[in-house]
Formats: sequence, C-alpha cells, structure tokens
Amino acid sequence: MSKDIPTRPVQVLRKYPIDGQVLKPMIEASLIWLRTNQQTVNALNVFPVPDGDTGTNMVLTMQAAYDEIANSAEHNVGKLAHAVAHGALMGARGNSGVILSQLWRGFARALDNLETLDAQTLVNAFHQGRNTAYKGVVRPVEGTILTVAKDTAAAAENALQETTDVYEILEKIIPAADESVQRTPELLSVLRDAGVVDAGGKGLYFILEGMVRYLNGLPLDTALISVQPLSTMKIENFPDMIEPGQDFEVVVDFRPDLPLDLAKFYSDLEQMGTSIQVGEGDGLYRMHIHVPTAKLYEPIEYTKTLGVVTKASIENLVAQMEDIKTEDESRLNLTPVEPGQIAVVAVAPGQGIARVFASLGVSGIIEGGQTMNPSTQEILHSFENFPTDNIFILPNNKNIILAAQAAAQLTVKNLTVIPSRTVPQGMAAMLRLAPDGDPQEVAAEMTSAIDDVITGEITTATRTVEIDGVKVLEGQIIALLNGKLAVASDDLNDTTLGLLKSAQADQYELITLFYGADVQRQDVNQITDNIRQSFTKQEIEVKEGGQPHYHFIISIE
Amino acid sequence: MTDETTQLGSIKISPRAIATITYHATLESYGVVGLTSKNLVNGLAQVLVKDPTHGVEVTYDGQNITIDIYVVIEYGTRIKTVASSVRNTVKYHVEKALGLPVAEINVHVQGLRISDPD
Repeated sequence: MSKDIPTRPVQVLRKYPIDGQVLKPMIEASLIWLRTNQQTVNALNVFPVPDGDTGTNMVLTMQAAYDEIANSAEHNVGKLAHAVAHGALMGARGNSGVILSQLWRGFARALDNLETLDAQTLVNAFHQGRNTAYKGVVRPVEGTILTVAKDTAAAAENALQETTDVYEILEKIIPAADESVQRTPELLSVLRDAGVVDAGGKGLYFILEGMVRYLNGLPLDTALISVQPLSTMKIENFPDMIEPGQDFEVVVDFRPDLPLDLAKFYSDLEQMGTSIQVGEGDGLYRMHIHVPTAKLYEPIEYTKTLGVVTKASIENLVAQMEDIKTEDESRLNLTPVEPGQIAVVAVAPGQGIARVFASLGVSGIIEGGQTMNPSTQEILHSFENFPTDNIFILPNNKNIILAAQAAAQLTVKNLTVIPSRTVPQGMAAMLRLAPDGDPQEVAAEMTSAIDDVITGEITTATRTVEIDGVKVLEGQIIALLNGKLAVASDDLNDTTLGLLKSAQADQYELITLFYGADVQRQDVNQITDNIRQSFTKQEIEVKEGGQPHYHFIISIE
Repeated sequence: MTDETTQLGSIKISPRAIATITYHATLESYGVVGLTSKNLVNGLAQVLVKDPTHGVEVTYDGQNITIDIYVVIEYGTRIKTVASSVRNTVKYHVEKALGLPVAEINVHVQGLRISDPD
C-alpha cells in the first residue's frame, strides 16, 4: 500500500477522555473512507445475487448509521454508540449491511451506560460485536466479514496486553484485519476460484482503517490523491474510458522550495483537472493529472511557482485512445457456431495467422505451433462449449496432429482431425469448408485441399547438421519446402529466394508471405521487392503472421 | 414435476430436491436462525425443523415454480432486509442448480428468536 505523508499534526486528533464527541468524527471517517473505496469493494463481488453491490450496501448502511449522530451533541459514548447502531439497523442494506448493523449493535451494547471509552471497553465492544453477529446465522460461513470481525476482536484482545491506549489498540488491529481479509480465499473456495478476497470483510477493513487514517491525519476523501512512494507510482495504468475534460495527461517532476502543503496542492490541482496522483521520493515529487486542452500548461506553470521543475511530460490521451480503439478493432473475429453446423478450430502460431484463420471462418483458435505444442487438454477446451457435435481441427503442424487425434479419443463430440502439417495447408483446407455440409464429405474435401498448396518455411538452424543432402551450419538461415530441408545460406534474402526457386514458384500463381514476430518490417519490404523482381508473373501477398522462430511462412499455390 | 424430455429419456426434479436447495440456501442467509413448519406459529423456538420439506413448500403448476419459505429471524436485525436477502439467495441458488427460472419466492417470517434483548 501507499505510504502516506501526514497532512495534519497527529496529537491534536487523539483526545482524552474518549466521549461521544471524540468518537463521532472517527465514525464519520469510517464512512468517508469506506465510501472512497466503495468501488474497490464492489469489484470484489463474487455472486451475481441481485441485492446490489456489497460496497454500496455497506456505504448506505454506514451512511444511515452516521446520519443518526451527524447532528448529535451527545457526550455519553454509550448513548452515541446506540444511536449509531439504531441508524445502522434502520438503514441496513443487503446481507453485509445486516451483518454490519449487528456488529454495531453488539458494539453499542458493550458501551451501555458508559460515559467514556477505555481500552478494556473497546476490546469488550469488539467481542460483543462479534458475538452478536455470529448469533444472527445458523451456519456461519467462514471467510466472510464474520471471520474478519472475529480475527479483529482477537487482535484487539492481544493488543491489550501491550497497551492500554484505545488509539494504539485501533492501530494494532489494522494489520490483523488486513491479514484476515487476505486469508478469506483460503477459507472460502468461491473466493479462491474467483481470485478475490471477501468483499464484506474488505469493507469492514476500510471502516476500521478509516478511523486510524483519521487519527493519523491522513486524507480520507479520495483514494487517488494519496502520496505514494515514487517507485510504486503507476501512471501507466491507462483508463478504459476518457471522461470529458481528460484530453491530456501531464506529469511533472519537481523539487519544492518549501515543504509542500499537500492539502493546498491538491485543492489547487483540482481546479485544473482530474485523476490527480502525487508521488514523493527523496524530496522529489511527481505530480500526475489529466487536464482539458485549454488548461494544458497550467499544471506546469503552477508547479513552477512551488519549486524547481526537473521534468515535465505531456501525452495526448485522446490520440492514444484512438490507437487503442484501432487495436481493438483488429481483434479476432471468430465465426459463431450454429447448432448442428461444422465448427473448425485452428492451431495458430501467431496473432496475424490467427486473424487470417478467423477471416477464413474458424470458430476457435488454439495458440501453438512449433516448439509450443498445445496439450490435448487445451485442444479439448477449445471446442467443448460449442453448441454442435461436429468439430474439425486443423493442427497446422505435424507435431500437433497426434495431440489432436488423442483429443478425438477423449471427447464425446465427433472430432475430425484434418491432418494439415503447415499453416498454408490449414488455410487451403479452410477454403473448402462448408459449415452446413455433411461432415464426412466436407472432411474429405478439406483433406484433399491440403495438397493443393506448397509450403515454405524459413527459420534459423539451431545446430549444424546435414539432412536431405543439404549441409547446414548452426545459425544459418534455412528453408523447408513441404517440411523438407531445401536451402541453407547466411542470408534471409538469399534463402527466401532460393526456396522459391527450388519450389518452382514461377509455375504457380500466388505467393503469400507471413512474416514472423522477429523480422524487421524493412527487411520484409526489401525481400518482397526482390521477390517481385524475380517472379514478375506471380501475385505476391505479404501478411503479418506474428509467429515466433519462423522468419517467414510462405504459401505457394 | 419439473421435467424435461429428450430422445434419451426424461429428467424429473422432485419438489423435495428443490426444497433441499432452498433449505440450505436459506440457512446460509444472514439473519435467519431457522425454518419452521407453516402451521406451527406458537412456541417457535422449539419447533425449528431439521427436515427441509417442513418450512419449505415448492409448488409447480406445469409452468411456474413457486417457493414458500417459513423462517424464524434473529431479533434485532432488519427483518425486511433479511427476508429480501433470503429471497435473492434462494433464487440464485435454485436457478443456478436447476437452470430453470423460479417464478415466485415468498418468505414468511413466522417469528423472531431473541438471544440478546437490548
């Protein structure tokens, strides 16, 4: 978590004795801090039970609780706590809200008729809260807010051994509460499966943490404007949506001349923009803000008045957003499967090749290829949810054909392996797909199409060897023609052209090159130009394959 | 009752099965301390039932599933909120298990248990 810098002197907030009016702002702080983190709690929801989000329910419950005392001048701490419990009861929303109201009810009962709160009473109150909450359910489920309440009560009791100061006890239970929250997935399997901690437990943690943050003079109102260690500041987290007025992202590094008045700094920045973050390390501050175009330079000018600006950067968020959108559009567009149809799953070694298969009408893509063969399990997963029994698979690699055939033995579906040994073969087969045809006929048709295409593959030799009459040194660029070693040379261009020559590409019509992930675009252009000069009558297509290891996968047809 | 017929045969789900799911979901709901038979409105604490078919009534009219639940709630909780959370939890669990929509869930609060009077 972030390390925060106190904005107010600490001592003043810890008043003694602790009567109702001292407790009141602590409860308010709980509410504010919970509300600040409401979305964090909501995001932890596991069950799609339609009784609202846990964070929202807890905030509404705490709000009702605080409303009951907002205008109260009650000094009797017991009476004040009862008012809070009453408000929580009346405003309880959802399961977590009801439990929270029971915690307050028990808490208040422990303070019955007491003028002030001391350490022993606080510990009793946590215990009473826990007991009351546990009585409200026949089968307490562990790994929930109940568990966190229980662990917190135990931690409070332990803390009493070390201190008799109420505020210190509160501080000491925070790590225990946090630990308890972190442990909830171990106790409740639905949380573990969803990879989250319990939402209600996290909410209770924020309620307790809010009190302690208040006591330490830390800001409560917005989670975003806390000061973080510079090293952990994450400003790359790009927002999913840009709100109006967030046209530019401005980041300024500066060294203030005088100690920075953070509260004023934030409020000044809020006049300019949103998504404010401030980081600090070794006296150097980094400020991050999103501003509208009109106020583009204001944060920099403003920061200059505070000290020495060491670095400033501006990024156009709108333009970046456009880029991301374009990228989204190029995502795979797989063909939906209708019941009874033939659905094809293709193994693709790269994003570009996957896109081509998608455009040819496959319904599923399995990532894999040379040196990264998918498991039988992955193959089974790829189609088990399709609403049809007729599944075709294109392994596109001779090493994957076996795994695909093993998958065929393991599934109840009618899985046909079209034995494509290379990507171009798979593509050629796809062109013959008739989704509504008779599976046997279509399979035969697709299998026969495999031989219509010649496949060239260009890669780097990993060892020195002599095969098929060709001598290869480690590190040389080699070409495989339909899986057989055909050419070896020290140059990508020479190997590629050599391959096309030995494949007698001048007898065919179309040459398609899929360039791999590690080939430079300018090399691709250079080689394509050379091919065009040598093979003037052939149509040359160049596509991004994105495959690893293979510089080019070439189809000749 | 609730059934589905395919070429392979039919699947029948008895009201008792649905009642069992309901019973467990209800008891996991916070604030509920027990289920009780609908006819016994007196001496509630003594008659909390262990059998899922008492305290839960499942009816199926050929189209809609209706579930009636008779509960005892902990004194000191907000009854309306507890009851509506029972309804939501039961609906979620039953629909998840059955894959069929539940048309109506009626929660009857038959009484309160007082473990800590304020």
